[in-house]
Amino acid sequence: MRRSKLLRAMPMAAMLLLTAAGGVLPAAAIAADAQPYAGQTITVILPPWGTLPKALLDDFTAKTGVNVDLQTLGWDDIRTKIVTSMVAGTAPADVTDVDWSWVGQFAAANWYLPLNDVVAKDVLSDLPAAPNFTVDGKLVAVPYNNDFRILIVNGAHLKAAGITSLPKTPDELLTAARAIKAKGIATYPLALPLSASEGTSTAWYLLTKAFGGDLFNKDMQPAFTDPQSGGYKALAFELQALKEGLIDPAMTGMTDVQLQQLFADGKVSIDLAGWAGNPSVYADKSKSKVADAVATGLVPNVSGKSRSYALPEGLGIPISAPHKEAARLFVAWWTQPDTQQAVYAALGDLPTLTSALQALNKEGKLVGGDTLLAQTPFLEPLFPAGAPAWYAEFSSAVSTTINQAAKGQLGLEEAIAAIAKGAREAMEP
Amino acid sequence: MPAAARTVGRPARGLGGSDARLGWLLVAPLAIVMLALVFVPLGMTLIDSLYRVDPMRAAQPFIGLRHYVDLAADTNVRTSALNTLALVAICVVLETVGGIAAALLLQRIEKGRMWLLAALIVPWALPPVVNALVWLWIYHPSVGLLNNLLLSAGLISHKVVWFNDRATALFLVAVVHVWRMLPLTAIIVLAALQAIPTDLYEAARLDGAGPVRSFLTITLPLIAGGLGIAMTQSTVFAFNLFDEAWILAGASLDTRTVLIQVYMSAFQQLHFSYGMALSVLLMLASLAVSIFYVLGVYRETRID
Amino acid sequence: MRRLPARLPVFLGVLLLLLWSLGPIYWSLVSSLMRPADLVADPPHYLPPVWTFEHYGKLLGATSSYFGTEIQSVWPQFKRALINSIVTSGAATIVTVLLAALGGYAFARLRFPGRDLTFALITATLAIPAYTVMIPLYRIMVAAGLIDTYLGVTLIYASAFLPLALWLMRSFYAVLPASLEEAAALDGAGRLYTLFRIVMPLAAPGLIAAALLTFLSAWGQFVVPLVFSPTLGTKPLTVLIPEFVGKNYVDYGLMNAAGMLSIIPPVLLVLLLNRYLIRGLTAGATK
Repeated sequence: MRRSKLLRAMPMAAMLLLTAAGGVLPAAAIAADAQPYAGQTITVILPPWGTLPKALLDDFTAKTGVNVDLQTLGWDDIRTKIVTSMVAGTAPADVTDVDWSWVGQFAAANWYLPLNDVVAKDVLSDLPAAPNFTVDGKLVAVPYNNDFRILIVNGAHLKAAGITSLPKTPDELLTAARAIKAKGIATYPLALPLSASEGTSTAWYLLTKAFGGDLFNKDMQPAFTDPQSGGYKALAFELQALKEGLIDPAMTGMTDVQLQQLFADGKVSIDLAGWAGNPSVYADKSKSKVADAVATGLVPNVSGKSRSYALPEGLGIPISAPHKEAARLFVAWWTQPDTQQAVYAALGDLPTLTSALQALNKEGKLVGGDTLLAQTPFLEPLFPAGAPAWYAEFSSAVSTTINQAAKGQLGLEEAIAAIAKGAREAMEP
Repeated sequence: MPAAARTVGRPARGLGGSDARLGWLLVAPLAIVMLALVFVPLGMTLIDSLYRVDPMRAAQPFIGLRHYVDLAADTNVRTSALNTLALVAICVVLETVGGIAAALLLQRIEKGRMWLLAALIVPWALPPVVNALVWLWIYHPSVGLLNNLLLSAGLISHKVVWFNDRATALFLVAVVHVWRMLPLTAIIVLAALQAIPTDLYEAARLDGAGPVRSFLTITLPLIAGGLGIAMTQSTVFAFNLFDEAWILAGASLDTRTVLIQVYMSAFQQLHFSYGMALSVLLMLASLAVSIFYVLGVYRETRID
Repeated sequence: MRRLPARLPVFLGVLLLLLWSLGPIYWSLVSSLMRPADLVADPPHYLPPVWTFEHYGKLLGATSSYFGTEIQSVWPQFKRALINSIVTSGAATIVTVLLAALGGYAFARLRFPGRDLTFALITATLAIPAYTVMIPLYRIMVAAGLIDTYLGVTLIYASAFLPLALWLMRSFYAVLPASLEEAAALDGAGRLYTLFRIVMPLAAPGLIAAALLTFLSAWGQFVVPLVFSPTLGTKPLTVLIPEFVGKNYVDYGLMNAAGMLSIIPPVLLVLLLNRYLIRGLTAGATK
């Protein structure tokens, strides 16, 4: 494969970063002189944004002697691939992407190797997303690609509506949206997915936290049925905003990716469920018309103290993987600050190690870095004990129901009841 | 009705003895492929559907028809079944009528026929993901072609969010599927049309038959076999509709098809054998509807 | 002058067909030539205000940007996937049409025990959704070592598209006059000789139709290659293209450009086969 000079230059820069940082590799995981698995080739399945440049893969091979056969699959399709091969009794690869939402299922099915010994204690405290992947004390996957929710607004829209500070509470959010709509700056200022897709569920979870609530109580009973609960208020907020015309009725057909396009085009003012990775897309002039106007802040909260959660992706090793030990080396290698910084430089994947985030921000390389770092202490896992095995079923009930309510097929009370019913059915054995 | 149409199954005279050996010899390769790659896996799935195969639970007890009973009571399954039936009805009608019309049209064109056929087939060649994304843009509530064209034609007074209405949503999903699948029907019908001897039409014209009458008395009966095949495949593909609905409206209950429900149960929620049982029901349903046509076709071809 | 009014409906029909078939294709083509910002203009642009080949550049050029980062061109991957699509669809077509041409003849003309039942069973498998057999099939393919091989994917496609091709071929043989074969038999021609030299040429439209159906059905496959062709060794375009959907960003321009390039081989094939389809027609008409 021929590469141009420019292309060669980019991973080279990433390499320089690696060597310049001169990080001492955890000796237990990767020893430079002893390469017991040299010559092995591991297969790795990652989504397209995990397409590591050759220079980085070469760095791993140089350190461990292990070759990497990197396969990319569309993100939605990775699960299909994993489920098919695991049910058929073979490993899809030596290392695969594991989304936080799959963790409960994969742990219950005992499909993935616990990776607790891959991550040292001090590294674990540097990985705020690790609880998302921990079930019964077992680390099912090690987070490698970070994502959490922040508030992203079109600063120019807010300013034009006479709003000088970022909304700190849901009420302020509504006030800002109403002002923007009243001035005719944006027809539908609030962007919130209402389609029957995962993004709709996660947005409601975030708003539940914003209203000071939780999805489930300690006994895993639905905690959103009381009209005073966060979840109830969150859905009421969504439907009210929709009714007032603050949210586009067309959101019922939009996934979060399409909604981000609207924000980038300056059609909406407030991205309520902004992803940590979005600011870099919004700030990119080739993809966004609002590159100069985008501003970021903490997720608003009724208490004024922000609460948000992470939606990270991890690297996991299937229990039947043929090269488990070499695969561990790969996971360990990716869990080093230098590697994560190099990956961010090459692919824009947000590091999961707080130290790596800080280092990047210090160098001024992190878009919206201050907000990202400010939000990090307020991140909590959506499910304190890791995503439960019934998460997929529950989440699908949530998004389908909210979608129906947004289309006017269900009222608020009915929708809440339907979600609670969906939760109970999902939990039934 | 020419005698040729009734020769199905009639062996050529004189060589009856070697028929059996040669017959199996010719059929053996495909029978082996089908046995190994379709019938054996199907058998495995049928057996699995009688057990509780749920990767999240260690035990896999035999549960008989429990899944099938539970499926009948599952409201999501019922909704998706209704959606699928509606989609099948719309798709089969549109594909059959449109396919025959396109084939007849192609039959009449002499100049540039090759290019017209290529144009007809293009939709089918577009990868399904791109196809659905193109239509996603067309149906887009604000910048989509559909709204803007209807608006400038004065047919609607304001932009419509098409997928907020269940019937409209189902119809629009069906249109995307028909757009992709209509060429299949057209090709089968076109090929069948070409086997009709032209002198039959001459004779009919001499008898004073108009184009409608000769279509009903000559064309339709003679392409009935091909039409049966075309309608069966339309039915089967419509029963298995997935991509279009998934990309246009996700898991929305308004357009969720049975196959999407299968995917969600088996691959997202990991209730594996429950999803497989549903897929078996889906298969039986599309088989039942198809047999209805096939029997119709045979009845049709037997009447003289 | 009688011709003009008679031609008018045909003309209108052609126009309608072209609009229906090519309208969305035109839209996809235009999208692939527009800057991302122009794509979302309201009202939409029916022609690109600024023509850009950037999306094609990303696919075909030496460098490209991917999720905002310069990376190596998508072209090596795209080329690989294009070749894979052509090879697997082509091989599946050859295998399917060959098996269907032989088997269809046997089912139409020869009498042997279990014939009707075998035919009914095979045709019935048309109704099996891919998901129903996918996991057991995966076990079989793993055991046979055929995962991520051309042979494996070809065989799966063949098993999936054989029922339709077989049924089509049988119905074609069935309407051919038996008198020709009887005459050949009287002349002392062997059964297979008759099949290849006399019957198959007559069934040419059927063979071509079956070939087109199989090739295009295989071309559009997604779930099967997703599971059975995981790597670029055999991964087809249909599996590669969705990878252009990012987690934060959908590159519509790139997807449309990829879609436009991916319809070229099937359309060329149609143009090529169509000559034979027409020849088949004229041959049939003179007999």
